[in-house]
Amino acid sequence: MSNWISHCTAGTSSIRTLLALLLLLIGAGVARADAAQTFVFAGKTLPVAHVATVGGKLAISVRDPGLAQLLRATGASMTWNPGERYVLFTTAEPQIVSFAVGDARYDVGPRSAQAGFAPYEMSGTVYVPFDELLSALYLAPKRDGDAIVIQPQLAAFDVRGNGSESVLVARAGIPLKPRIVEESASQLVYAFDGVGTTLDRSRAIRAEGIRAITFAQSGTVRAPVTTVTIALAPGTGHGRLETDDRNGFSLAIGGAAASEPVAVATPEPTAAAAATPGPQATPAPANAVATVTGIDAHAGPNGYSVDIAVAGDATYDWHRLRDPDNRFWIDIHGAALSAPIGDVVGSDPVDAVRVRQLDATTVRVALSLAGQKRLDVQPSADGVKVSVYSEDAGDDVARAGTGALGNASAVAVAPTPVPSGDAWKFGARSTYVATNPRLIVIDPGHGGSDPGAGRGGLREADLALDMAKRLRDILVARGWQVVLTRTADVDVYKPNDTARDELQARDDIANNAGARMLVSIHVNSFINAGPRGTTTYYSKPSDVALAQAVQASAAGVLGTKDDGIVKSHLYVTLHATMPAVLVETAFISNPDDLAKLTSPDWLQKLALEIADGVKKYAGAPPAPGQSANQ
Amino acid sequence: MKRTLMLAVILIAVAAGSWWFLSHRNPNTVGDTLDIYYTKASDGTSEVSWPVSMRPMQSGETSAEHTHNAALYAAVQTVAGPPADVQAVRFPAGTRVLGVTVAGPTATVDLSSDVERQSGGTFGENGEFKSLVFTLTAIRGIDAVAVLVDGKKLDTLPGGHVELDQPLHRGDF
Repeated sequence: MSNWISHCTAGTSSIRTLLALLLLLIGAGVARADAAQTFVFAGKTLPVAHVATVGGKLAISVRDPGLAQLLRATGASMTWNPGERYVLFTTAEPQIVSFAVGDARYDVGPRSAQAGFAPYEMSGTVYVPFDELLSALYLAPKRDGDAIVIQPQLAAFDVRGNGSESVLVARAGIPLKPRIVEESASQLVYAFDGVGTTLDRSRAIRAEGIRAITFAQSGTVRAPVTTVTIALAPGTGHGRLETDDRNGFSLAIGGAAASEPVAVATPEPTAAAAATPGPQATPAPANAVATVTGIDAHAGPNGYSVDIAVAGDATYDWHRLRDPDNRFWIDIHGAALSAPIGDVVGSDPVDAVRVRQLDATTVRVALSLAGQKRLDVQPSADGVKVSVYSEDAGDDVARAGTGALGNASAVAVAPTPVPSGDAWKFGARSTYVATNPRLIVIDPGHGGSDPGAGRGGLREADLALDMAKRLRDILVARGWQVVLTRTADVDVYKPNDTARDELQARDDIANNAGARMLVSIHVNSFINAGPRGTTTYYSKPSDVALAQAVQASAAGVLGTKDDGIVKSHLYVTLHATMPAVLVETAFISNPDDLAKLTSPDWLQKLALEIADGVKKYAGAPPAPGQSANQ
Repeated sequence: MKRTLMLAVILIAVAAGSWWFLSHRNPNTVGDTLDIYYTKASDGTSEVSWPVSMRPMQSGETSAEHTHNAALYAAVQTVAGPPADVQAVRFPAGTRVLGVTVAGPTATVDLSSDVERQSGGTFGENGEFKSLVFTLTAIRGIDAVAVLVDGKKLDTLPGGHVELDQPLHRGDF
């Protein structure tokens, strides 16, 4: 019968509809509504209303209220929508249990199996094989008189060696509440109330320190107790039995590690560490031997310098166009960018600097000059240096040149032809010109009705404001104008506003003032204590250089971990018209980082380092009076 | 002679029919495995994928329906995350995929409002949405992911950082 159903429903949807009608017509004999059946779970009757039997096997509607209650109690959830073929359950572990209408094959995590019958559609809902679903949730139906008791099981028992000790890991159908029966030098005995087991009564364990593990079930069908006895080898220590929110427990047993995992009841999917290169990575082409590792563009006493760091041997040629088209570029041949480098907003006499991988083996650095300025190009210790001077050049200025770096042949390279017309132009994003190039807007994250992340009374909103004020004072002392988006614990837009309004209000302050840059200061957080360190987030190409400069300086302050720069789709950086970064200074959720966040010395040093990053990126603030907006 | 010609015509017709049947029977919009991504908890941004076997396309299942099913399966897998002992950036506990729709190149993932229970930093949000975008855009034909929360479009999560009012692409991360 079940084969027949699965065969037919594997056909077209019209056959399925026909089948559903047929099932309705012949009803009782094939898929019998079985509402009289009582289901008991955790001592209470479940409100199961929509079950049927198919060939003697139970089917349950995915819309059944009893099933919904059962899923909640076991920490599982379901994804299904009317008309859809797939019914997906996520267990607490987490594992995905996948059913599909018309297909008797079902998956539990990485394993596939055949169900007694294929899930089928009827009356706008889907009926799935109940026994198979229960088993996947580590539940077992047990008959007790007229009722069916759904008994949570202790299942999926595993012993793992982690290098220095053996770790016992088990999962069950419900959150576990172990009772310690005995913890002695020779054995550990734990009892789990309300849980049955189908695990083998005893098993030999090859893990060092453990002689044997025995499982015993006692109690009644409705109130089972499972006792786990771990016989220890002499002189073996153990840790505390830990339960987790995924219906599991773990226990570390001291002594040498297990030579290999034994008694694996649930094979884990192989987390193949097939890391795909991020979209940001610019893989160095195989035939490019040198690497452009960074650009340091900064204002100096006599003008502006661009230091191009090149590792390896390369040649270069440079060109400049005639006034009024004051563009200059230098091509590094046989080289690749080690990482993308974004546009840099320059300062007089350089309006902007742009770096890109022109082709597989050529890196181009282009400068937009404020006028027909005098410049020179010289190999330096780290690569090549382009110096642009404040004074204008004469008419007989050189318009092209070549050179070699490292051991590259000094044979003159034929300059590449000058691109005609618009072959190389600065994109819209790099043409941002600050109307107030002396102004830096600092945004202390969160505040007011949004305290941000918190830990033990410490709040992100307060920490961010503290750091922002320290940064402001340093930058002001160095000659910058600084505006904070907030100077107290308040909402910038209005109390209880949306995050969008709040973030846009901060961007508006910087955008309307035509600021040179926006630096948003935050404190990171995670659901566990693991992650730590400093990250600078950015979004736009024009943010990259600022992010690199700030991160290079601010990361690693007094031992903080350097988590690098990270591109993300962040509102505050995306909607700032100028270069903008969001600095996640440290993790409030990590004890080491938290200690730093409570140290005024660390906060001050961090502010200083961010200020130094700003200096590395933008040089000194332009002299007052350079902008009409001051 | 006439009979030979007829036989040849029939043979050609059968061959053409077989070719059509074989090439259209399984358009193979989705491979046998899906790459499910997570981001490492060590830095919150390095992405790692693990393969999950995908139910073969069933007869009576259209190519669009199969793509939708693949997107649904992939989204549910991503939100559930890798095995518990893997140090991954995970969606807030209880976050469920309420539904997935695919329209053109954009998959829209409707998440339960549990996703709003973030720990407060950029780290989690960035890692979660990056994994969702990388997983879904690994499916042929999908190159953008829109996010809904309880069926509603949001600009950002409350108190959040990542902008959600436009579909997300791989290049955004």
